Amino acid sequence: MYEKIVSMMCEQFDLTPEDISENTSFVEDLGIDSLDVVELVMELEDAFGMDEIPEEDLKKMRTVGDLVEYVTAHSDT
Amino acid sequence: MKIILDAMGGDNAPEAVVKGAVAACREFGEEILLVGREAEVKACLAACGAENEPRITVVNASEVVTMEDDPATACRRKKDASMTVALTMLKNGEGDAVVSAGSTGALLTGATLIVKRIRGIRRAAMGPVLPNGGRGVLLIDCGANVECTPEYLLQFAYMGAFYAERILGCENPRVALLNVGAEDTKGGELQKETFALLKAAHEAGRINFIGNAEGSDLLTGKMDVLVTDGFSGNVMLKTVEGAAKFMFRQLKGVFYSSTKNKLAALAIKKDLSGMKAMLDPSEVGGTAMLGIAKPVIKAHGSSDDRAIYNAVRQAIACAKADVAGAIENNIEYMKLEKEN
Repeated sequence: MYEKIVSMMCEQFDLTPEDISENTSFVEDLGIDSLDVVELVMELEDAFGMDEIPEEDLKKMRTVGDLVEYVTAHSDT
Repeated sequence: MKIILDAMGGDNAPEAVVKGAVAACREFGEEILLVGREAEVKACLAACGAENEPRITVVNASEVVTMEDDPATACRRKKDASMTVALTMLKNGEGDAVVSAGSTGALLTGATLIVKRIRGIRRAAMGPVLPNGGRGVLLIDCGANVECTPEYLLQFAYMGAFYAERILGCENPRVALLNVGAEDTKGGELQKETFALLKAAHEAGRINFIGNAEGSDLLTGKMDVLVTDGFSGNVMLKTVEGAAKFMFRQLKGVFYSSTKNKLAALAIKKDLSGMKAMLDPSEVGGTAMLGIAKPVIKAHGSSDDRAIYNAVRQAIACAKADVAGAIENNIEYMKLEKEN
């Protein structure tokens, strides 16, 4: 799951896997904004067959690790 | 070619959108897809005597994105909103461009999330064309990105140059950077770093960068593209609009102040009307959202039918000129190497 998400992030934000770890913060480390996060989340929802991630849950996700943990708990795959 | 219109977007929708669309369809001969509440849109078509126009198709969408809607939430939740449906149709290749007079934030967000940015473009930008007595000057960005990096501004410069060349017809467009002085060393870190990037692009023969420009240079005709961050660009745009309104108000006051002046105004009435038309936003069309993979045109929220007509004209021009394709083909020059 972690590798899949990192791969999708690399694709979307033009990053390399070395730029990303579980502790990487979306805002502080990658400089991506809320629109980027929504964009990524919509891709993840499609890729992992998830229901729409509620806004309140989105707001709690600060790091890549938070996102991986959430997707692991809520996805079909 | 098919132009998709968000029939429910804007203060005067759907009446003005439909009326403008009908006029554009008859003038330009391209197909129009009107997306919105079918019954309302069809009633407007009938009012224009265009209910049987074969080049206009109505696509039903039951919801509307309002100014109160959060842009990202509207895009995700209001799947059957006219704007969302229009953008999804564009993404799916059911049309060649989208025109909307709806919420700017929602359209930009929807375009980014649904149609997507051109691969490698960090941020889409808003590029209105302002009158300058010639072909016009593109101000990019004018509000989509309040916080910018030098790389964003470098990309805005390229995107603006492609637009100026292909849509405004400027050969080798002159690109300037908005700053607080003309000297190379002026400005904060953002301007200094951007200046260096633009200068390097100029020396490589990729952009005709003419240096820094001050706000007062915008309408002088010295440049074809003025690059800035969205915050400064928006302040600049609104200041210009306010100053123009002030000038016309003052001028009107002078002309009405005495019988002699009224006669003078009468003598130059035709010229004044021409000048007013040049500054009329409804004649300009809309604002292109540059960096999105397919053409998306934002018409002014208060657009009348004439403004919609001109926005459709602009959408046709953008689709034919393939500005997005030009950006995509040059994307390698527009990215900075990452620092390790």
